[in-house]
Amino acid sequence: MKRVLLVVRKDLRLLRRSPVLLVTLLAYPLVITLLVGLVAGYANAKPRVALVDQAGLPQTLVLAGASFDVAKTIQRVSKDVTLVRLSRADAERQLRNGKVVAVVTVPPGFLSDLRGMLHSPRLKVQTGRGGVSTRVTQQIQALVYSLNRQLQTAFIRTNLAYVHALKHGATISFLGRDIDILGLDRTAQLLQGFPPSANRDRIIDFIRDARLALAETDSAMRATANPIELVQVSQRGRTWALSAQVQAYTLALTIAFLTLILAAGALAAERDENVIGRLARGLVGFGQLVAAKVVLAGLVALALGAAIAVAFGLIIEIGGIEGGEPWDRIPLLLVGLMVAGASLGALGALLGGLAREARTASLVAVLVALPIVFLGLVPQEVVPVASWISEAFPFAHAVKLFDAALFDASPWARLGREALWLAGLGAGFGLLARLAARRLLA
Amino acid sequence: MTDAAIPLLAARGAGRRFGDQTALEPTTIEVWEGEVVALLGPNGAGKSTLLALLAGGLEPTWGLVECRPGVRVGWTPQRPAHYGRLSPRENLELFAELEEENDPVAAAGSLLAEFELPDSNRPSAGLSVGNRQRLNLAISMLGKPDVLLLDEPTASLDRPQRRRLWESAGLQRQRGGSVVFATQNHEELDGHADRVAVLVDGALVFDGPLDEYERTESARLLA
Repeated sequence: MKRVLLVVRKDLRLLRRSPVLLVTLLAYPLVITLLVGLVAGYANAKPRVALVDQAGLPQTLVLAGASFDVAKTIQRVSKDVTLVRLSRADAERQLRNGKVVAVVTVPPGFLSDLRGMLHSPRLKVQTGRGGVSTRVTQQIQALVYSLNRQLQTAFIRTNLAYVHALKHGATISFLGRDIDILGLDRTAQLLQGFPPSANRDRIIDFIRDARLALAETDSAMRATANPIELVQVSQRGRTWALSAQVQAYTLALTIAFLTLILAAGALAAERDENVIGRLARGLVGFGQLVAAKVVLAGLVALALGAAIAVAFGLIIEIGGIEGGEPWDRIPLLLVGLMVAGASLGALGALLGGLAREARTASLVAVLVALPIVFLGLVPQEVVPVASWISEAFPFAHAVKLFDAALFDASPWARLGREALWLAGLGAGFGLLARLAARRLLA
Repeated sequence: MTDAAIPLLAARGAGRRFGDQTALEPTTIEVWEGEVVALLGPNGAGKSTLLALLAGGLEPTWGLVECRPGVRVGWTPQRPAHYGRLSPRENLELFAELEEENDPVAAAGSLLAEFELPDSNRPSAGLSVGNRQRLNLAISMLGKPDVLLLDEPTASLDRPQRRRLWESAGLQRQRGGSVVFATQNHEELDGHADRVAVLVDGALVFDGPLDEYERTESARLLA
C-alpha cells in the first residue's frame, strides 16, 4: 500500500505542476455540460408554426354574445408555439424547407360555421416529416384545446343566458332575430290569475319542478363541458437549471471526462517517461501501478466533485431556490464521488494500458468518454438498447448514485445498488487494466 | 549448495521477441562476485534487451532470469528513466523510498553531491543531457545494489564524470559486487572489464575473459 501511495503522491505532484492541463481538464467537461444543457433547452424551444388565414379573420369577433380580440386570443392560446401569419404559398414553401414545422390553415367558411353553431368548424394542420412532427402535432392539439376552452366559456355563458331567459324571461337575439321569452317566473304569475283547476295546478307544479331543475343547469353545464378539469398550481422548487438530474449529470459528466483521461494518461505516461521498466523490476507491480491510478482518479473526483457540489449549493442558497439544499447529503456524495471516480479510473487505466502512449491514451479516453456519456444521457424509455449498453459502464451508475445521494428521501437501497455496480465494474476494468499494463513494457 | 556456488545474477536461455522481431535469441550468461563484465556489440545487437532482462525491467519471452536470494540489482537504462517534471532531488527521494532506503532524504542528498547534480526545484526535463544521464546513474545506485547494470553509461558524460563512474565501478568490485556494462567503445574495456560478452544480431557469440577476447577474430572485427 505504501508503494501505491508513493506513486499517487508523485502523480498529484505532477498534476499540480501542469496547470494548463488541469484547467483544460476542468473546463472541457463543464463546456460539454453547457452544450448538453443548450441541446436540452432546444428541446423546449417554441417551434415556428405558420398560420394561413383563408377565412379573413376580423380584428374583433363577436361570438355567442362575447367579443373576442382575435390577435390577443391567438397570442394567448399559442404560448407553446410561435405563430407567424403567412400566405398559403409562403407557408407551403417554408414547410418544405423546414423554416416552419407546421401550417395551420383557417379555411373559408370557418367563421360562418363558428357563428352558426350547427356543426364544428375545422382547422387544417399540416406538419413536416421528421423527429419533431409528433411534438408539433401535440402542441397544435394543445393550441386547439386552448382555443376550444376560450370558445366553450363563451358558449356556456350564452347558453346560460338562454336558461336565465327561460327562468326569468327576457328579450334575446337568436340567429339574428329578437325573441321575447315569457319565462317561468312570469308564467307562474300569470297562472295565479287563472281560476283554480286541476290543470292549472298541474302546470304550476311543472313550473316549480322546471325552475328547480334549471337552477342546477349552471354547474351541470360547466361540469359536462369539463368532466375532468386540470388545475395548474404555479411551480415551486428548483429551476430546471439546478434540478436534481442536471446536478447529477454535471457531476458525473465532469468526473467521467476528468478521471478517464487522467488515469489513461497517467498510466501511459509511466512508459513515456521510460520509468515503467524501473518500476516493474520489483519496485511497483502492475497491480499496484493500476491501483495507484485508480486511487488518483478517486481522489481527483472527490476534490473536484465536492467543489462542484459546494458551488451548486451556494448558488441554490444565494438564489433562495427551494427544493432541498445538498449540504446534509455532502458526506454521502463524497463517498459516491470516490467510488465513481475509482471505477471510472479503472476504465481509464485499461485504456492507458491498451494505448501505451500518453497522447494516444488521452485521445482514446476522450473518444471513449463521449459515447459512454451520451449513451448514459439517453432515457431508457426512448432507446432501451442504449440504456443496456450504458449499464456496462460506470457513467450511468455514477449519475444514479449522485442523484440518490443528493436527492432521494430514502437513498440507501439505490445508493447501495449503484455503489455495488460501480465497485464491480471497477474491479473488472481494474483486472483488465492490470493485464493491459504489461503491454507498457513491450 | 553454498552461496558462493551460485552466480549473483544469471540469464538461462533467456530471450525476447517484440512482435515478430527477435531482439535476443535464448541466451545464457552468469554474473559472479567481484567481476566487471563488458557487453559488446553493434547497434541492435541485443545488449540493451539483455540488460533489461537481467534487471527485471523486461519479461523474457523464453527462458528465465535468476538472482541469488538477497542480491539487489541496480539498472541504468540507456535512455534516462526518471520523471521529467520532478526535480532531481524529488526523483531521488521517490526512488529511495521505493527502494526502501532507511533515510531517503539523506540518500538523495548524498547522491546529489556525489554526482554533482543541481539541488533546485528545476524539473529534470530542463537539465542538460549530461546531467540527465548522471541523474539516471544516481537513481540506479539507490538501495546499495550488489550488481550494477549500466547501459552505455558514459555516452553523455564528460571526462571527469567518466573517471568517477569507473572509480565507482571499481569500488563496487572491491565490495564483492559486480558490474555489467554495455558499450560500443573498445577503449572502455582496458582497465575496466574482466570479462567480455559479445552479442551480434541478438545472439551471444563470445563470453570469456578480456585477454581471451582480445585474441579473437570478433575483437578485430568490432574494434
